[in-house]
Amino acid sequence: MSSPKVGIYGFTGCAGDQLMILNCEDRLVDIIGAVDIHSFAMAKSDNQNKELDVAFVEGSISTEEQLEHLKDIRSRAKVVVAIGTCACWGGPQAMKLEEGGFEDRYGGVYGDANITVTKAFEAQPVDAFVEVDMKIPGCPIDKTEFLSAVSKVVAGRHPYFYKFPVCTECKWKENPCILNEGKFCAGPLTKAGCGAVCPSHNIPCVGCWGPTDDLNLSGEYKLLVEKGYDTDEIMRKFKKFGGAGIAKLIKSMKDEQRGVSE
Amino acid sequence: MKTLEVVPLTRVEGDGGITVTLDGKKVQSVTLDVHEGPRLIEQLVRGMKPEDDLNVVPRICAICTLSHKYAAIRGLEKALRIDPPEKAQLMRDLMMLGESVESNSLHTFMLALPDFLGYPSAIAMLGDYGDDVKRALKLKKFGNHVMEVTSGRIVHGENPGLGGFGRYPSGTQLKEIAASAKELLPDAMRAVELFSTVKYPEYPEVETVFMSVNAPDGKYGLAGDSILISNGEEVDAEDYKKLTSERVVTHSFAKRSAFNDKSFAVGANARMINMGKRLDGQAADLFKENYSDRWLRNPLLNNLAQAIEMVWALEHLPETAEKVAALDDPARADATRETGSGTGAVEAPRGILYHHYEIKDGLIEVADIITPTAQNLDDIEVHMKACAEKMLAEGKSDEELLPALEMTARAYDPCISCATHLVKLKRI
Repeated sequence: MSSPKVGIYGFTGCAGDQLMILNCEDRLVDIIGAVDIHSFAMAKSDNQNKELDVAFVEGSISTEEQLEHLKDIRSRAKVVVAIGTCACWGGPQAMKLEEGGFEDRYGGVYGDANITVTKAFEAQPVDAFVEVDMKIPGCPIDKTEFLSAVSKVVAGRHPYFYKFPVCTECKWKENPCILNEGKFCAGPLTKAGCGAVCPSHNIPCVGCWGPTDDLNLSGEYKLLVEKGYDTDEIMRKFKKFGGAGIAKLIKSMKDEQRGVSE
Repeated sequence: MKTLEVVPLTRVEGDGGITVTLDGKKVQSVTLDVHEGPRLIEQLVRGMKPEDDLNVVPRICAICTLSHKYAAIRGLEKALRIDPPEKAQLMRDLMMLGESVESNSLHTFMLALPDFLGYPSAIAMLGDYGDDVKRALKLKKFGNHVMEVTSGRIVHGENPGLGGFGRYPSGTQLKEIAASAKELLPDAMRAVELFSTVKYPEYPEVETVFMSVNAPDGKYGLAGDSILISNGEEVDAEDYKKLTSERVVTHSFAKRSAFNDKSFAVGANARMINMGKRLDGQAADLFKENYSDRWLRNPLLNNLAQAIEMVWALEHLPETAEKVAALDDPARADATRETGSGTGAVEAPRGILYHHYEIKDGLIEVADIITPTAQNLDDIEVHMKACAEKMLAEGKSDEELLPALEMTARAYDPCISCATHLVKLKRI
């Protein structure tokens, strides 16, 4: 059997997930041995645009040029894997998806300059435009979780990802609950996988892995209001990393609240 | 007219392309386009609390994540008049040394060296230069380890904050860092050996101006409150706008900087040019042996500067780690005001990074971030143009031109996602 053909691509983001792949250091040589890397522009020059078994896509999509490139990757790849919070949810640049105002912010940075390179739009996750077969969240992705997923994917099997929030990992580490101390902690909202790294450093979870499965957003909202948090502040903190995932939940939470008040 | 395209520019961090337009033996233009999608981070953090800004802004760039964190911390602490405890300051020095080793080892061995030795990638070098690739990986892994121990994670660690750290590392962790740094010094010396023996083509040579921070206490360092210019001037970091004069160009999502209407350069070469005399230990000897006035013209020598800087960093890591270990863990320092402004200037591995904040009643009103690659873009174009002109005059082919131009651009260690935005050759 020939080695699986793999492509690694980066769009709008910090390139942290591709960097984490390079950060696999010792294991990197094993990966290179197990797969045939057709394209990895961040790491090599001789890249090809051919049929792929697996495409790993990092970053959110925020220009017409990227959108065309993404569609081309999808058409050539049997499996598309979104890696990192930006690809999975949109990332911090998608924090205002729910409220809009992209044109004003764009004007705030570039004035009325007519930038001709390509047309930019509000950043959105990869699955807003093409079918995504698998999401590996993280900001950045965790090496162990990525390597385990790669070994399963190249063997044609589906990897396992945590379905519970950071709180579970935090309990495993026996950390005192930061939320109980009255501080804003995004642990209950956020998908596990980081090892509860921030609470283990006495710092509240910032939510960088994006929303967890089956999360109770309105429950956390009510709890924070009870703890005396300003409602605007809660919303700003909710939106920091959750992008499209949180935007959807905020919308349903608002609908729910409206239903209650009616 | 003919166009040669190098899109995307590979082995750089982020998405960019450089278009070189040629008319016979003349270079009509060199334009560095940044295709990387804009993220408008400075706009997104308006209205946020400083603590939330500190979670978002390091996400501008994964390689310079701690430089962004530190520049933001410096700017915000000035604005809020926070006086950090000594141990926190030493931890910040330690994390910056770790990031420096990580980034410089990645760029010199893995990204730049293949250009000089004629390989398409570090992966392709494994057969002939396997030991050097392994050295690079060891150094990079160590740099990452220091970043992880100090910041909480290899990339985007949240441990450094306003007024201090969430948690300080254990004595054992710090001792291990000191011991590993000493062990790895020969590997960094090998980088200097490689980059002091490779050939640096003269094609991209043009005189330019170099800027770096002025590290305190007359030492070589990676942060400071004033900026040194290679013409002998010194300017307060708060006057960063005078030094950068940011403007928008229509062919790119990255803004541009100029000083007195001319391009300037930032990076390890700028730091060595302005602060090289302050080096100590073996780094000082290596600098004296290798420095010449060619450094003022040839951007390719930035690779050599980065290699020497790795030696400096590894020589200073042990004492910094030991100093951190010797102090008790302090409480975080608090803000002493809620309204004010401040500019943080730090040396990211690829040059000066500015974070300027204006805060009113505890919320951010204005955030202005100027990245090193954005400052270097004009200078990259100037040196690429010189390179193309001289090569064409000698009758070199487009096939010879293209790698030389990429090599020139790559020498600046450009970080495209942070500049939001590298070679395309066009013939008309």
